Amino acid sequence: MAQNENFIDPTVLGSLDNLELRARVVVEGFLAGQHRSPNRGFSVEFTDYRHYQRGDDMRHVDWKLYGRSDKLFIKQYEDETNLRCHILLDSSASMAYGSGGMNKLEYARTLASALAYFIMRQRDAVGLITFDEGVRDYIPARARQPHLMQLLRTLQALKPGTTTNIVKPLRELAQNLKRKSMVVLVSDLLEDEEGTIAMLRQLRAMGNEVIVFHVLDPQELHFEFGDSSEFVDMETGDTHITTPGAVRQSYLEQLQQYLDYCRTECQRGAVDYCLMDTSKPLDQALFTYMSRRGRRF
Amino acid sequence: MGFLAPFFLFGLLAVALPVAIHLIRREKPPRVPFASLRFLKATRRKRVLFQQIQQWLLLAMRAGIIALLVFAFARPLFFQGSIGQLMDGEPRSVVFVLDRSLIMQHGDRNEHLQQAVLERLDGLQPGDEAGLVEFAGSPLSVRALTTDRETMRGAVSDMEAPGYQAPRFGPALRAANELLREARHERREIIMLSAFQTIGMQGIDSAWQLSPGVTLQTVDMVGDPARNLAILDVRAPDQLVEGGGGHEVLARIRSNGSVHTDEARVTLLIDDEPVSRDTLSLADRSEAVARLPVEFESAGQRDGEVRVEGDDFSADNRHFFAIDVRPEIRVLLVNGSPSGNWYEDGAHWFELALSGEGVESPWSVTSVTEDEFDPGELSSHDVLVLLDAGLSTARQGAAVSRFVGNGGSLLVAPGRNTGGTELSEWLDVLPARLRQAEALGGNDYLLLADRDRRHPVLEPLDIDWSARFRGYWQSEPAAGSRVLMRFDNGDPALIEGEAGAGRVLLLTTALDTSWSNLPLQGLYLPFVHEMLDYLAQPPRMPGAYVAGDRINLSSWMEAGETLEVRHSEREMTTLSSLDPVLVASEPGILRVGRNDSQRLLAVNVGADAGNMEKVPGATLQDRLINPETAPVQSERVRSAQLMSEVEQPQRVWWWLLLLVMLLLLLETRVANRTYR
Repeated sequence: MAQNENFIDPTVLGSLDNLELRARVVVEGFLAGQHRSPNRGFSVEFTDYRHYQRGDDMRHVDWKLYGRSDKLFIKQYEDETNLRCHILLDSSASMAYGSGGMNKLEYARTLASALAYFIMRQRDAVGLITFDEGVRDYIPARARQPHLMQLLRTLQALKPGTTTNIVKPLRELAQNLKRKSMVVLVSDLLEDEEGTIAMLRQLRAMGNEVIVFHVLDPQELHFEFGDSSEFVDMETGDTHITTPGAVRQSYLEQLQQYLDYCRTECQRGAVDYCLMDTSKPLDQALFTYMSRRGRRF
Repeated sequence: MGFLAPFFLFGLLAVALPVAIHLIRREKPPRVPFASLRFLKATRRKRVLFQQIQQWLLLAMRAGIIALLVFAFARPLFFQGSIGQLMDGEPRSVVFVLDRSLIMQHGDRNEHLQQAVLERLDGLQPGDEAGLVEFAGSPLSVRALTTDRETMRGAVSDMEAPGYQAPRFGPALRAANELLREARHERREIIMLSAFQTIGMQGIDSAWQLSPGVTLQTVDMVGDPARNLAILDVRAPDQLVEGGGGHEVLARIRSNGSVHTDEARVTLLIDDEPVSRDTLSLADRSEAVARLPVEFESAGQRDGEVRVEGDDFSADNRHFFAIDVRPEIRVLLVNGSPSGNWYEDGAHWFELALSGEGVESPWSVTSVTEDEFDPGELSSHDVLVLLDAGLSTARQGAAVSRFVGNGGSLLVAPGRNTGGTELSEWLDVLPARLRQAEALGGNDYLLLADRDRRHPVLEPLDIDWSARFRGYWQSEPAAGSRVLMRFDNGDPALIEGEAGAGRVLLLTTALDTSWSNLPLQGLYLPFVHEMLDYLAQPPRMPGAYVAGDRINLSSWMEAGETLEVRHSEREMTTLSSLDPVLVASEPGILRVGRNDSQRLLAVNVGADAGNMEKVPGATLQDRLINPETAPVQSERVRSAQLMSEVEQPQRVWWWLLLLVMLLLLLETRVANRTYR
């Protein structure tokens, strides 16, 4: 709970118009508790010695120290990756739904900004693809600082679109990837989750790291509506009059089946799946994810 | 089914409220944009129909809750019978007081009475309770209040026929009033079915009234105008002397009916044989005397009957009586001081008293002097009288003592010539020892100052004794003797003693004019008669009773002894000394005792038992109904109270409220499932 006190409430975060500032707040707030990557590798920056263990690469043995102490030590370095990350952001009409301070699109935009800011801060390359029924914006992955500003401006200008087709941008991305990358999908996955997950698993099979941020509103997760209402589908315009109390149990059962399917299928394909509640602090979600992905960053 | 507060039923209009709300809320619901309907639509097929059912169920439950609340406030109640019956009736506690006296034997009154009671029993409402009091001279049977109508019907149908007693309303109404003290209901009522003879009012305490709140309804069982002749009284001697010539039996006949009787035929029967007749003409409510001559040739007990004919009601047309025709009482008179002057001769006055001027005397007197007295003659006499006489020898004394011991009687009246010392010595049956003769000088005299007024000899002589006594024998009563009279100086005047089976009376003064003026008193004759009757006759019981009397025959029985009582028209009854009381239930002749010592007792209906003069029912009501009777409640108030009493133990509204609570819980659960 101590961590929660350091996180920024999404409602407060939503009040910040500047997306860069919003991303910085999230990342800096997050990093205030992290300071350094827990991953240790064999990069240029030395960190520590350890005793040689069977199977260690002999190239990393400190021979000078061996000469002085007659013992084998392995030099350890901070890991420095050269990551290319592609962020795919769903900007369909359904992402415009929100029952609290931030709607799903706003939440996803902030999440993407924070990720981009964080990745750029790690001196990795980051790209952005926004889509609804088709790809609306495409920014290739680069690691320069001005690239971040372009990426943030694109996110800032993003408006809710129409219907959703996630498979299409994923397929195009898969066709264009030249090297192994990290693919981050931020979406509510309300359309064709089977095709989407299949495409994500294909990307993962190609050797890419694949992460799915499944963004849902608290009302979508808990369905706590009161009076009878006429519900309007934000993508198709279909309507449905019902009494929430009567259908809530069934709704939650259906939803749970859907979420279980998404989680299970992603795990089967070694796709990292992270359900994001837009009422929860963003950096908390980031922390949860980073903890899970710690070995790679 | 009914309602204690039916006005609350207007609240049923509120049932329309949930329906109206349901209709109003059917307006178009608000539009809510939602990300995707895929999960909502998935539930549609399964849930929509059930949701509609739930909504209708909710509507029904809410309407039902309101309806049940309304019914609970209206206080429903269930009861047997229709509402009309309940509204018309109020639980009553009714006691039927039924006249079973003699008059109810008239015509078909008894059947009418039973029919009237059965109809009223059938008219009782559910919950009513009824009791029964049958009465004549007193309550004959009392049945406690019960709601079991069949039991009461059986009791009425199985009632015994009316008896022969005259009615008395007071005890019966008191019994009914007592029954109603235990009544369950506030409305208490006495329904009296009677001929309401005026004589029934006798004996009602003028200060007594029914308890407050008890009403009295009178049902007159008097039929059509009728002729009724009743024998009010029969004057016939209970004792006669055989061969005594003609006698006359007088019968007082009264017309108790409501119409004139032209020819009332009166017949005298002796031993069931008609011996004389008379005919009378009687206007309604008038009396006449029939004279019926009769002769008795032989001794013995005879049963007599006076029968009257010519009316419509025969139950009171017979009057029974018993006559004891007995032989003469033989008296042996020993005159100790015979005189040529009849005025001074005590035997003269004595014989004169027993002679019977103009009528047949029951006594035969043999008068002898002391010298002529032969103890051998005692066996042919019933009573020995010693007037100023003594005994000449001890042998005579022993003979007289044996005579008395064997059942003979002795009357001794010593005078100045009597040898009292020898008499006391030789005559050991004498109840007192004579000490000396006391003659008062000058104008001095004694009066009789004290007497046993309950003794059979003196009981009929309860008048002032004005006789003056100038001489008497001072005496010393023997143990076991009784002093019946004393002079005003305290000395005994008349002493009674018993010896064996006989009786002895000792008058301590002479029965002549030498010592007193008693023979000159009018009291002399009955005094002599009563003394001789007492000495010669066994104690008599009253021979005439009224139907319903309780006859105690204990004096006729020794301990452990039994006594047979045979009715002239019934079987024999045996009484024991432990239960010596016989109830004279019917008129007729009762033959009591064994054949060798039988007594006849006559039982008759009361003189007024058949008197058809009636008292108006209103008079009875005015006399008996307590003015503190609670005011009659209005029909509406009574009905409301009744329904409240019926509703109280049912408490249907409790169950309705419990049902409302359960429905509320169910509604809350269903509503939560439907709208939350």
